Amino acid sequence: MLPPQLSTLFLLALPSAVRAVFQDEVGHIDYHYELLGLPQRETTFFHRPRRDDKASLLYTLSDVGVLGAVNPSNGAIMWRQKLNGSTTNCGGFTRAGEDESWIASALGQSVHAWDAVTGRNKFWMDFAGEVKDLEIMELTESERKDLLALSDEDGTTVLRRLNGNDGSVVWEFREATKDIPLQASTNVGKVFVISLHGTAAAYNLKVSVLDTLTGKRLDELVIGTKGEVHSADDVMFVGANSASPIVAWTDDTRQKLRVNVLGTKSRQEFSLPTGTVSVEIHAPHLVQSDPHFLVHSRTATGNRADVYHVDPKTNTITKAYDLPLLSGPGAFSTTSNGANVYFTRITDDEIILLSSESHGVLSRWPLNTGSSPASAVHGVSEVVKKTGADTSYAVRTAAVTNTDDWVLVRNGAIAWARPEGMTGAVAATFAEIPESEDLVKSLEQEAHSNPLEAYIHRVNRHLNDLQYLPAYLNSIPSRLMSSVLGTEVSSKTGKLTRDGFGFHKLVILATRRGMLYGLDAGNSGKVLWGRRTVNLPQGSNWNVTGIQVHESTGQVTVLGSNGDYAVVKPDTGNVVDVAAPGPGRVTESTALVDTESGQRLISFGPDGEIGELPSNWTPKQTVVVRGSGEELKGVVFTANGTTSRGSTSWTFSLPQDQRVVSIATRPSHDPIASIGRVLGDRTVKYKYLNPNIIVVVAADDNASAFTAYLLDTVSGQVLSASKYEGVDTGKPIECAVAENWFVCTFFGQYTLRDNLAQSLKGYQVAISDLYESDEANDRGPLGDSDQYSSLDPIDTPTGVALPSVVTQTYILNTPLSALQVTQTRQGITSRHVLAYLPESHGIASIPRMFLEPRRPVGRDPTPAEMEEGLMRYHPNIEIDPKSIITHERDVIGVEKIITSPTIVESTSLVFAYGIDVFGTRVAPSFLFDILGKGFNKVTLVGTVVAITGGVLVLRPMVRKKQINALWTAPM
Amino acid sequence: MSELKIASESPKWVASLNNPPAHRSKNTSIPDPPGFPSSQPSAVSAKQKKDAAKIEKAAPRKAPTPDEMDTLKVKKAWEVALGPIKGLPMTGIMMYMSGNSLQIFSIMMVFMAFKNPIMGILATNQAFERFESDSNRSKIIQVKLAYVAMQLVALALGIWKLNQMGLLPTTRSDWLAWETQREPLEHAVFAL
Repeated sequence: MLPPQLSTLFLLALPSAVRAVFQDEVGHIDYHYELLGLPQRETTFFHRPRRDDKASLLYTLSDVGVLGAVNPSNGAIMWRQKLNGSTTNCGGFTRAGEDESWIASALGQSVHAWDAVTGRNKFWMDFAGEVKDLEIMELTESERKDLLALSDEDGTTVLRRLNGNDGSVVWEFREATKDIPLQASTNVGKVFVISLHGTAAAYNLKVSVLDTLTGKRLDELVIGTKGEVHSADDVMFVGANSASPIVAWTDDTRQKLRVNVLGTKSRQEFSLPTGTVSVEIHAPHLVQSDPHFLVHSRTATGNRADVYHVDPKTNTITKAYDLPLLSGPGAFSTTSNGANVYFTRITDDEIILLSSESHGVLSRWPLNTGSSPASAVHGVSEVVKKTGADTSYAVRTAAVTNTDDWVLVRNGAIAWARPEGMTGAVAATFAEIPESEDLVKSLEQEAHSNPLEAYIHRVNRHLNDLQYLPAYLNSIPSRLMSSVLGTEVSSKTGKLTRDGFGFHKLVILATRRGMLYGLDAGNSGKVLWGRRTVNLPQGSNWNVTGIQVHESTGQVTVLGSNGDYAVVKPDTGNVVDVAAPGPGRVTESTALVDTESGQRLISFGPDGEIGELPSNWTPKQTVVVRGSGEELKGVVFTANGTTSRGSTSWTFSLPQDQRVVSIATRPSHDPIASIGRVLGDRTVKYKYLNPNIIVVVAADDNASAFTAYLLDTVSGQVLSASKYEGVDTGKPIECAVAENWFVCTFFGQYTLRDNLAQSLKGYQVAISDLYESDEANDRGPLGDSDQYSSLDPIDTPTGVALPSVVTQTYILNTPLSALQVTQTRQGITSRHVLAYLPESHGIASIPRMFLEPRRPVGRDPTPAEMEEGLMRYHPNIEIDPKSIITHERDVIGVEKIITSPTIVESTSLVFAYGIDVFGTRVAPSFLFDILGKGFNKVTLVGTVVAITGGVLVLRPMVRKKQINALWTAPM
Repeated sequence: MSELKIASESPKWVASLNNPPAHRSKNTSIPDPPGFPSSQPSAVSAKQKKDAAKIEKAAPRKAPTPDEMDTLKVKKAWEVALGPIKGLPMTGIMMYMSGNSLQIFSIMMVFMAFKNPIMGILATNQAFERFESDSNRSKIIQVKLAYVAMQLVALALGIWKLNQMGLLPTTRSDWLAWETQREPLEHAVFAL
């Protein structure tokens, strides 16, 4: 017999040893899209990280704030860094010095530099104001290259020159003039600061010329714009670092382009083609390059371009040539090789390489986009000139397409495509693969006809199915072999079919850019389709308020906040119904309610407002909505003639200084396997099981406290409230509810038990169990009644039946976010709490057993408690590396985790989204109902065959021996 | 009593013929060679031979009277009736030692603890058939009752063991699966 402490240790070690993800399951049960986000036009470039090495990498700072390097030959991520906490529309700057082994970036209030090969941080400087521009000074008085960082500190324009080695400030230029800083620029001898000067109605451009060595102002020029510039966005382009930097803007009607060469006062005008919608200017960023630039003007249907040359001596601009109008939006990119400047034009069907010198086409390749037509929005190119007998060119272009993919086109052929559009995901749901429509139809027909007809129909259907029998029989040997050898059964037909385990589901993912994706969770998360369902105005995000799968038709409805919606088929992405966002009603939230006419998705406006509904849409349930301010409302609908109106049945208002931080509800699929918990002495503690509970977390910023309210949402009654003091309310407080318990995580301070004077701060997780009564074997005040009503309070003792709450708090060594609970088909499997670890970029699966609130405190568990699986309470929970379901994968920016049950009870599907997309399967109580990959079928079959063979050989031998023993005379 | 006749002196080969070496038939599917002893029905086993010798020795004693015979039979019957309880302490100790976990050993023990008393009770009449005569029937009834009572005691021990092992549905938790969840009359949906 083991000593009890040791056996407890074994008990703890045993499940954790089995819980880890096996190496052969990696890539089989899980999938991961390592994403950067959509590259931005100004922050993407090719750069050679090693001076002696010709190989270049593709660097980008994406629109979700991830800086990364991609290998252009295969599209693999070399390194990436998440620069900010949120994934809002980002901006930012990245620059690389020519032949330097580091790159610089700026985002928000900080400037950083990174090793270009490894992605290690070189320095990180935080400044007071937001960084408006970042430039590299190629030529300095010393060997190194320095950085110029322009920031806006509440109206004060600050330009700092930073030492490129360590980020220290060399000099600082300040100007408190309420100007709007636009850009810093530098040529060989001077530094320019361009800012908008004047009032909002009519800004003028102001150029301050500074000395490179001291940062002292040498000159100041004001260029009149005739009131054509109203904001920083109106300035098309401020060329930086070229031999002759320029500033360009257009008039309000986009008929004239006005260009100023920095350092001069003159302004030159060029006419734009009629019907121009937008203008982009492309110019090289290198001092040694020829000062040529290209004006790309888009009309509603097509695009054209004009190339201009700047004479650096006279500062005059002349038009060199123009490129014809082609249909489609088109895209241009600029590449400079020493003094040569190349422009690459990407149209829908061609890639054209041009020199800035003349209009002659250097090379052109037909663009083969494959099956999915997509057109480039913007791109960057790398041009290699092969000198030899005949000069030829090779171009590779990394372009962002209008379907939010990032593709690399090498001489017209697509080398790789990255689905970067899946970043910035705002909502996702699991959907079943729809049954074939014919089968659904014939089943319906059989259900509605009389039994005899239905029987004949069915027999006919089965006879008809016989035509598939030979094919099925043919497939049996290969299926058997693949089953024995453990190889993948690949669906040859390419048709999506459900599997016997229920692992084969679809995931529908909606992103803030208006794209919908369909992923095949059963086939390594393959992207089945990606479709732009709503066209959003520039700079706005798709705010998805609800995503629902219709049970019978299998269609997925995605509701936006501006009255827009899209109904798509989950397997093909075909749009069934769509409505564009309109200015009319604003949808704040949606709910799927049961009505007389089946399930309906109804939407609520701000403050839980809803108009009249048709009477057959009357929800049968109470609908809980957010009211105005910090309150919740319960709305009950009553039909009145042909319409039905909602009336508030209860209101839950928070105290004056509290605000709602988060609300957690029980998952829609939360089956209860056992209604009580059996204790060690065989008595039962009955669970408080109320499907209508929610947990409202209300933070009080002044008191540094939060309160978790447990509400019954039918009556609005507060069932329990627990207040936690000394909490940092600025950090996220999250809760999750399942079955009869809820768990909250927060950052707060706690007092030590052995030294009450000392208090520490840390991440904590508080878990509460709800029981019907404090006593075991007691079903509480409601007794044995089969039904109960929250609106009908019982008389004894008084009021509604309140749960008995047992709470315990644990300390964590890492913050948790995106809490979710695993879901299984019948709820027999124990539950795990899934949480994203934002600091270690992983997803942990914490067993509910460790977070048990009934663990005995300050004493060893009694034998009865040990039988129950209760361990002695230890305040800190170490997240076991084996319980991290993302194992070695680096999953960044997870915003939410969703789970779904499968047909087998043991397993739950997990899908995490945000920036990266990650999916896997978890088995909280281990795979008790299916054979794992470790099950060696070859050995099993081999053993059976060997034994059969042995018996066949040995049987005659033994029989002969037995007969001889009996029949031969003893001699 | 046909065995008594061949007790007189006879040659060795006769004894060998009448007492062939014990026949061990391992495989019934293989027939014995013709003329093999197993096919001779008149074979006599060695044990029967020994019994015959015993009775032969006792034969010279005076035959008991029927009264004595009855007393003797009742005495013997009491011995049989009290038999089950004599084994109980041993069984009890073994049950205690085998522990309360569900293992093959304890499961077998519990099975035997139930099987033996029940089979004993069912076979009460057969057990006392030998001792029963018309004259001692009333006394034998008492003995039978005592025998049943003893078997019940043994059965009780089995039940005690079952309870110790936690296999008797005596606690609330054993009936939990039949209890139903309380259904709420109202439901709510969340639009939060």
